[in-house]
Parts: sequence; C-alpha cells; structure tokens
Amino acid sequence: MFPNGNMNIMSFIEFKNIEKQYPGADKKSVTDFNLEINEGEFIAFVGPSGCGKSTTLRMIAGFEDITGGELYIDGKKVNDVLPRDRGIAMVFQNYALYPHMTVEKNISYGLKNMKVPADEIKRKTDWAINILGLEEYRNRKPKNLSGGQRQRVALGRAIVKNQKVFLMDEPLSNLDAKLRVSMRNEISKLHRELGSTTIYVTHDQVEAMTMADRIVIMRNGVIQQVGKPMELYEHPANKFVAGFIGSPQMNFYNVKLVGDKVLFEGGETMTVPASVLSKLGGKEGEMIMGIRGEDIKLDPQSISVHEADKKSAVVENAEVMGNENNLYFTFGGSQTIARVSKYEISGVGDMIDFVFNPSRVHFFDKNTEVCYV
Amino acid sequence: MRKNSIPRVILTVILFVMSLFFLFPVIWMLANSFKTDAAITADMNSLRAFVPPALNGSFFENYVTVIKNTDFIRYMLNTLFYAAILIVAGVIVNGLAGYALAKIKFPFRERWVLIIMMLMIVPSETIITINFLFVAKMGLLNTIFGYILPMIVNPFNIFLFRQVFVSLPDDVWEAAQLDFCNPVKYFFTMVLPMSKTVVATVSVFTFLGVWNDYLWPSLVFTSSDLLTAQIGLNSITSNDNTTMGQTLAVITMITIPVIIIYALFSKQIVEGVVSTGSKEG
Repeated sequence: MFPNGNMNIMSFIEFKNIEKQYPGADKKSVTDFNLEINEGEFIAFVGPSGCGKSTTLRMIAGFEDITGGELYIDGKKVNDVLPRDRGIAMVFQNYALYPHMTVEKNISYGLKNMKVPADEIKRKTDWAINILGLEEYRNRKPKNLSGGQRQRVALGRAIVKNQKVFLMDEPLSNLDAKLRVSMRNEISKLHRELGSTTIYVTHDQVEAMTMADRIVIMRNGVIQQVGKPMELYEHPANKFVAGFIGSPQMNFYNVKLVGDKVLFEGGETMTVPASVLSKLGGKEGEMIMGIRGEDIKLDPQSISVHEADKKSAVVENAEVMGNENNLYFTFGGSQTIARVSKYEISGVGDMIDFVFNPSRVHFFDKNTEVCYV
Repeated sequence: MRKNSIPRVILTVILFVMSLFFLFPVIWMLANSFKTDAAITADMNSLRAFVPPALNGSFFENYVTVIKNTDFIRYMLNTLFYAAILIVAGVIVNGLAGYALAKIKFPFRERWVLIIMMLMIVPSETIITINFLFVAKMGLLNTIFGYILPMIVNPFNIFLFRQVFVSLPDDVWEAAQLDFCNPVKYFFTMVLPMSKTVVATVSVFTFLGVWNDYLWPSLVFTSSDLLTAQIGLNSITSNDNTTMGQTLAVITMITIPVIIIYALFSKQIVEGVVSTGSKEG
C-alpha cells in the first residue's frame, strides 16, 4: 500500500517509554514500553504471570496511573484522561457483569448512560444479543448463565458502545478447554466484522498465536519481541521467546561450536550446514542450541539423509495425541521432546534412532540468550 | 461418634417445649388484652388465663378505648415515620462511610476501621448526655431533626456495610466506569442493589432500634405531638385510669410490628448477627 515505505502512517495507539512503578516497590512493573498499534489491528500481549501485560493493559484503560512516558490514543495524549473518556471498551477476566441486571440490561446499561435515544438502544442491544446468540437468555441474570454465556454478555456490553479500542484481559481463562477454542473463534470473527483495534492479554501462547495480527511478548515488565505469530515462531529474538512460543516447548542444549561441528554434552556431534554457519558470522565456542520438536526426525528417509549425524536414545515417556505423538527422552544432558507423526509409534523404554534437521537449528548466546540464528 | 445421636423427633419436642416457654407470656398478653379486668383476675389461676374470651360485641373494647382516648396510633405512626427517615438516611450515610472504608484508598484507612470498631463497644447511654447538650445548643430540642440527627451515624452499621462491601469485586466498578457511570450513581444503582441483604439487615436493625428506644426520644421530645410509641406506652400505662386490659392491649399493639418484622426478616437478622458476631441493643 505504501511502496516507498517512507510514508508516515499515524499509529492509532502509541506507547512512548511507558513505565509503571507501584508506590513502595523497588522494581518497575513495566519498563520502557514502546509500541505503535495500527487502527484495526489485533494485538496480543503475552507472557508468564507477573510480566506486566495486565498492568500495561490497565494503563491503557486508565485504571492504573502511568508513572513514566506518554500514551496516545488516536493522536491524543491520554495519560491524565479518565477511563470513560478514552474511547475504550473492556472485557474482564471475571466478566464483571452487573449481577442484579438481566442480560439485556447489562448490555444496554452503557448506552443508557451515554444518553443514546431509546430506539437506538433497543436496536443496538438487539443486534449484540443476536450476533452473540444470546436471544433465549435475554431476560436471565448472570448467575443463571454458564461461563461461556457470561463471557458473551461481557463481549456484548463491550461491542454495543461502538468504541474505537477493545481491551481484553484474559477473557477466556475461566472457560474450559473446549469452550475456549470456540470462543477464540468467535472473538476472531467478531474482530473481523467490527474491525476495532483490539488489545488482548493472555498467558496462553496458543490464543496469541491463533488470534493476533501481532504478538507482544513480555517478561519482567520488558518487551522481549514484537512480531507476527510466525515471525516469533521462526525467528525468536532470544531464548525466552523461543521457549515461550510453541508447544511442546523448544528443546535447548548447552553445546560448543567448533568449526562446523556442534559438540553436545556427552560427546555427540552434529555437522552444521553452511547456510546456518553463514548467519552465525564466524561465532564459535559455548552456546545454547535450540531445536523444535517437529525438527527432530525419526523417519528412515530423514535418517538416511543425515546418516552421519544419527543419534539414539531411550524413550522415557510417550504422549499419544491422536494426530501426533510427543516422545520424551534425554539427549545431550537435556530433556528432549520430539514431535513425531502418529505413524511413528514408540513405547516407553524403546530405543529410537533420530536426527536433528540441521538447517532448522537456532543458536543463542550462552550469557545474554540473544538469538544468533 | 455418631453424629445424629439424638433422634429428630426428640429434638423437635424439646424445641417445641422451649418455644412454648418463650411464647407463653405473649399468648397470655394477647388473650388477656381482650378481657375486662374482672375477667383477668378471675382467670388468673387457671389455664383460662391463656384463652381469649368468647367473640362478642365488647371483644375489642380495650383496643377501642385506647385508640379513642389516647394518641397511641399517632405515636405509632410518628415512630414509623422516624424509622423510615432513619432507615433511608442511615443506609445512605453509613453505607457511604462503609464503602469508603472498604474500597477507597486513603491514609490510615485500617486505623479508621479499628476506631469505628472500638466505637461499637461504647454503650449509647454514655454519649447520650453529650448528644443532648449538642442538640440543645443547636436549638433543636423538641424537633424531629434534633431527634434524628444523632441517630443517623451508627458504627455498627458502618462496620456491617464495610464487611460486605469489601468483598464486592473491583472490576464491576471498572466496568461501570467504562459504561459512563459516575461514583454516586454507581453507589445507588450498583453497590446497594448488589448488597440487598446487608441493606435489609441494617434497615431491620434500624427499625427495631427506633421502635424500642425509650431514653433518647424521652429526652428530646416534650411536645406530645412528636412522641414515639414507647413513650406513649409509658404514659398510658402509668395513668391510674388505665385498666389492666387496656395496658395489655397497648403492649400488644406495640409488639405486633416487631413480631411481623422478625417473621419477615428473620434471615437477614440472623445473617446480620452472624456476620459480625454480635447483636446490638
């Protein structure tokens, strides 16, 4: 759209050196947070608990003071703007429905306070109830709804107000696994239909991967990486991102790189292809090597290609997933999980032969954990 | 150990007998309030003391006389009116205080809660002189306002509200803010409806407090127009011309609202007592 790449697109939400330090705390909860979010984007903040993702979201909402930096929404600095005047709608982890009001009243409450004409309220509420499939629950109170229905009401309350920004704070974490998958799909659909800018906080990397246009990975209040889901998966910025994104988690080994040879703990070796070496730019010595479970191959064809680097191990645990199997074994001093096809069945105690797909390995600095390749 | 070692039937019988002990003065009062003094004396030493007389033209004689010759109905209505005002004012004032102590962050908040809890121990009789002087200095003696003002704030009710409001989820307030709800509206349309039980409990306690109070209205009111039911009861029963039957009729009339309230709100009263581990008054 902007072929010269120089056009200055006005970002819709802009974080400039945002910081949060709670009174009396000796460490900042969020440090030097810089990010630009475009209009209509679906952004996921993801990270382990305590990483500052919810705090950041609450700073956007205005429920937490911003102790440093500037926050802009639609070109306007909002640091000192009341939550209600920021043009946001929010879906809370525990739904935060009004317990004494019916579904319909919960959804229309904001519109009434906005002094929207009655027929308009009716039309919008009907639309939200319809789009979320809540028709038969219209006159029920929250206590008579299931978790999924409550979350739909919370979504309805957010979408009727036509706000520019949706904030969602772990909205699916209280639902069971099956419902989570279907609600995930519904939220994605809703986002496509409404096109509002959405910021979605979750600790579940699967939610982030499946729903977001871009993912912001946080740890200890610091952004680790921002990127499209596959960018993060294929090109993690550091070991933390590599380990956080993807399930099962990436396998890591303490290795020594000498020339084109990787030396594992225990003396095993592997030849690194030229394509990977060129990206390493001559770096050698002690490193951390990472490889994803699906890049550990057990099939005869792969083994025959990399015959010289063939390894073997004893399966310690096997998870049968139906469509695939996860095999657990120890190699190079580390617990390894190989993700293999459902046809490659192995039982606990079996000796297996395998190879690493050498063009798919990652190398991380041993100290800084920054990703080289 | 077997848990249900006492069979249910025996328990029921014991409870029934016990409740008879509590009921018998009430039944006695009710039965005799319909009798002439001669009949009361005649029935005194027999079980007939618990049986009302036959229904005839003079059955309600004592009640009719009391209502005709005294202002007792007016005193009862006065008291109901005071109770209504104090319930509304008390829920608003003590509720707001309880909300602040539960949800709004300010310096030494927990200390304030402690101070208010300490005030609960102080018997109201000990501060009644100060209240009286205060009201007198303001020139509010013998006015409804002077009677009501010192009764609005009640540490017990503040504490009760606070205990309930503490457990209200914060995210509902946050959601309400994004629904363009202001704090005042939030308190009245969200906090109070979400806490119906404690509002009912406080209302019941306030009603009973006002209805049963004798000392404070007897100090503030001198005009007979403003008197409360308890003072009316005292002045009627201490009048030499009042018969025994009429006295019992007045006592019955003053007891009935309390019994109705207990019957309707026993759940709230129990919850109120349980949640604080104490009973007021």
